Amino acid sequence: MITKQLVDQIEGEASIYFDIKDEMVDFATISFPHFRGMESILKGKNALDALVITPRVCGICGHAHLMASVRAIENAYKNAGHKINLNQKIESIREFTLLMEMVQNHLKWIYLTIIPELQKLHPTDRNSKPLKGAFGASLAAKAIATFAGQWPHSSYMIPGGITCDPTNIDVLKAQSYLDELISFFEKESLGISIDDFLAFESCKDFEKMNSDISYLESELIKNDMTHKGHSYDRFIVLGEHSFTKVSKLNQTKAMGADVKYVSESEAYSPNEKTYAINALYKNNFYEAGPLSRCMALSMPIVKNMHRRYKDSAYSRVMARVFELAYLLKKSQSLLKKIDISQSSFVSPENIKNITAEGVGVVEAPRGPLIHKIRINEGIIQEYKIITPTQFNIGSSTQSNPTPAQKAMSGVSIQNALFIFRTFDVCSVCTTH
Amino acid sequence: MPSNQDKKPTLVWFQGLTCNGNTHSFLNHPNLEQLLSKFEIFHHPSLRSTKSFNDITSCEIPCDIFIFEGTYDPLMKRNGILLEKIVNHYAKNAKHIIAAGSCASFGGMFKASAPERNSGLIFNEESSFGPLLKHKEKVINLSGCPIHPEWLGYTLGMIVAKREIEVDELHRPIELYSNLAHHGCTRNEYFEWKVDASDFGEKEGCLYYKQGCRAPMTHASCNKILWNEVNSKTRVGTPCFGCTEPDFPRQNLFSTKTNMSIPVDVPLGISKRSYLTLTGIAKTFKIDRLEGKLIDYKTTR
Amino acid sequence: MAKVTKEQRKNTIISVALKLFSKNGFYMTTIPDIAQKVGMSVGNFYNYFSSKDILAKELVMYISEYLGEQIQEINKKDISSQEKIEEIVSMYFDMADEKPEMIEYFLRVYLSNREVFKEGCKGMICVSSFVTELMIFFDDGVESGDLFDQDFFSAFGLFMGYLGGMVFLFGEKILPEPLSSYQESISKNIYNALKSR
Repeated sequence: MITKQLVDQIEGEASIYFDIKDEMVDFATISFPHFRGMESILKGKNALDALVITPRVCGICGHAHLMASVRAIENAYKNAGHKINLNQKIESIREFTLLMEMVQNHLKWIYLTIIPELQKLHPTDRNSKPLKGAFGASLAAKAIATFAGQWPHSSYMIPGGITCDPTNIDVLKAQSYLDELISFFEKESLGISIDDFLAFESCKDFEKMNSDISYLESELIKNDMTHKGHSYDRFIVLGEHSFTKVSKLNQTKAMGADVKYVSESEAYSPNEKTYAINALYKNNFYEAGPLSRCMALSMPIVKNMHRRYKDSAYSRVMARVFELAYLLKKSQSLLKKIDISQSSFVSPENIKNITAEGVGVVEAPRGPLIHKIRINEGIIQEYKIITPTQFNIGSSTQSNPTPAQKAMSGVSIQNALFIFRTFDVCSVCTTH
Repeated sequence: MPSNQDKKPTLVWFQGLTCNGNTHSFLNHPNLEQLLSKFEIFHHPSLRSTKSFNDITSCEIPCDIFIFEGTYDPLMKRNGILLEKIVNHYAKNAKHIIAAGSCASFGGMFKASAPERNSGLIFNEESSFGPLLKHKEKVINLSGCPIHPEWLGYTLGMIVAKREIEVDELHRPIELYSNLAHHGCTRNEYFEWKVDASDFGEKEGCLYYKQGCRAPMTHASCNKILWNEVNSKTRVGTPCFGCTEPDFPRQNLFSTKTNMSIPVDVPLGISKRSYLTLTGIAKTFKIDRLEGKLIDYKTTR
Repeated sequence: MAKVTKEQRKNTIISVALKLFSKNGFYMTTIPDIAQKVGMSVGNFYNYFSSKDILAKELVMYISEYLGEQIQEINKKDISSQEKIEEIVSMYFDMADEKPEMIEYFLRVYLSNREVFKEGCKGMICVSSFVTELMIFFDDGVESGDLFDQDFFSAFGLFMGYLGGMVFLFGEKILPEPLSSYQESISKNIYNALKSR
């Protein structure tokens, strides 16, 4: 019997069609009904206009799109024989604002999505205070705005650098927003220091805590999420950054990876038209996102979790929490690297003289985000966007399901709906 | 027993074709919790709400304030229901309708998804057009890509306080949109003396001459009510893209359109003749303090 | 006889001074020369212009404003850029014919004695009315699609340098034919150089 469930509050909506056998999900197909045609909107425009248009793919990870665009254009410059070299200041500031966007995403996801969804599965009288997530996120947004002017929808990264020219005042200001955010997260979310949290050796260490995060952890266990939501146990990281490592992993076995092996396939969604397209690596489905990045980094606590619970919904959720803590520390070190005396921008060749193709890959909050551009005399001939949710969610056949489809099988509909959200679904990015 | 008037106004925030940028921008509001406490939220794209999405799309309950985000596409369905039906249902009953962002106001970025049919609620770019023309008196456009959280905060605050919101020809609150994005820009002195920014990545210089800045032609208070309470595009050297205006998004956003080096668009309300006269004069002065990096100008004279 | 107003008196001084300066040069012309020609005392002259340098600057502005007004009239007409070029060339040559002192002053005094105009007449300040109108002409021409979008000074130099050069040749009595007989070919040359490609 097929049961349809509409899922909203996932940056848009999706429909899941569950095929139920013995009250458990035997198979599920997913459809994303909305489409905006971003790739065709970009066609015929000046390549630099992509820096304004692509952040508008997504209100929650637009900064990642900006960075993917600027990397794609800079790669095209390189392929046209005009290599752009970025100094450490430019790299650090770009990376810092990208991380801050990831932080705001993870905070909102914990407080506005995962904790409330867990409370639906297992109602308690705990007041989860969802707006805490928005408050923490707004501090991260302030830190971004210090360099990027605003969040969302900044366009401060441009081929050759960044538009801002920060002073020590700005760097100190960003530092103080970050410090405030860290102490907020330690006090309001963890209940312990980030250092202590990241030093956890096993999941038993949660027993010492009493906070939102330990509540989240214990609810995942109560709902048996340690034994549900398993997918392929294959992970992919493709964006080059200081905070993770480009790799593909089969369980814990890590190997190098290259974006050139990414391909796409039509989604299988027999019950409703979908605009989603599946993304594959070497023709296989891989899970993308925080769990993958933490595994690629060999973060000890996440590896320990994985040893016990593999790629369960529990591991997926908790990896995101650990990544959040890790990124906050990482952001502090990035700020320390900023030498304001270095230049913010080195003027590249006029875009009108560039005819080339380029690829830009970044790690967005949910995983690899790929932009491909083909430019003729500065004008976009073709633009292609592949988003992390295409790797994780998509929709495929029962014999070859996507990571989310695989993770949802064998559990009740209610559990499947929760597991679906553990991937941090972004509807607008999926179809763009 | 509380009277009817003590009841919180009910609010539905509904989305058409969007990126969610307005939703996330609003979540940055500095007094979010306090502001939200004044309403009963029937539906919001990411906040917990008192009605389910099925309740909302079944179009049976009315709301007092209807916030619409995104471009209006007459063929779009939410939860299988035509947007037209949903939008008309809430508009009919609401006392106030707020178009959140440039897509809902004028068509914006996603008008291009289907230019022949997509529009804002009561405007297609600058022309009067859209599904809610018969309710246009109730519509307040809060253009901007995305919406500025404090602009929406102001509008909701005025509604709660039962104060009248005066609007311009494009239905935007005058108190927010009579300013130009130029007002309060930290580069104003460079504009006065016509010193252009030599390139991106500098604090010094005005972005209007080469880098495409639209601030002197754009109705917005971005440099007065700062973004994230911190900053603005022009302050970090990014040109204003004119995102609050009906013609957003324009093209070639990082360069100023000129005819024989003369800017095609001059500051709002100033004749080109007067502007060029003034420019010619201002450009003849060489002001040492404005020539190099501010930090290198060590004298206090 | 009606009493001569201060304004009319000032205009007379300007007109006399223009003629003397353009004929004898800036340094060879003295204030007593001008006062005498106008028929006023040197003391009274200083009620109108406090120095020779100031008079010199006022003259440039006077010419620039006159030219600016003429071009503005042409700019306002609903005609093509090619026709506007013809009218500007014709206006300029007529002026060289009928009021040669204006252009002579510009070429022989303003452009040849830059030290006099160093203070207060920097860059294009004193000729801004004229330059502004040409900017408007170029801007309208590109906007309507008649003219090619290029650097302002490349176009300005081509237009005014050409006309100035012809008037100079005319003044030196080198041209075999009257100025007006070159009007058509010059207009065509300017248009061909500026038109959209």
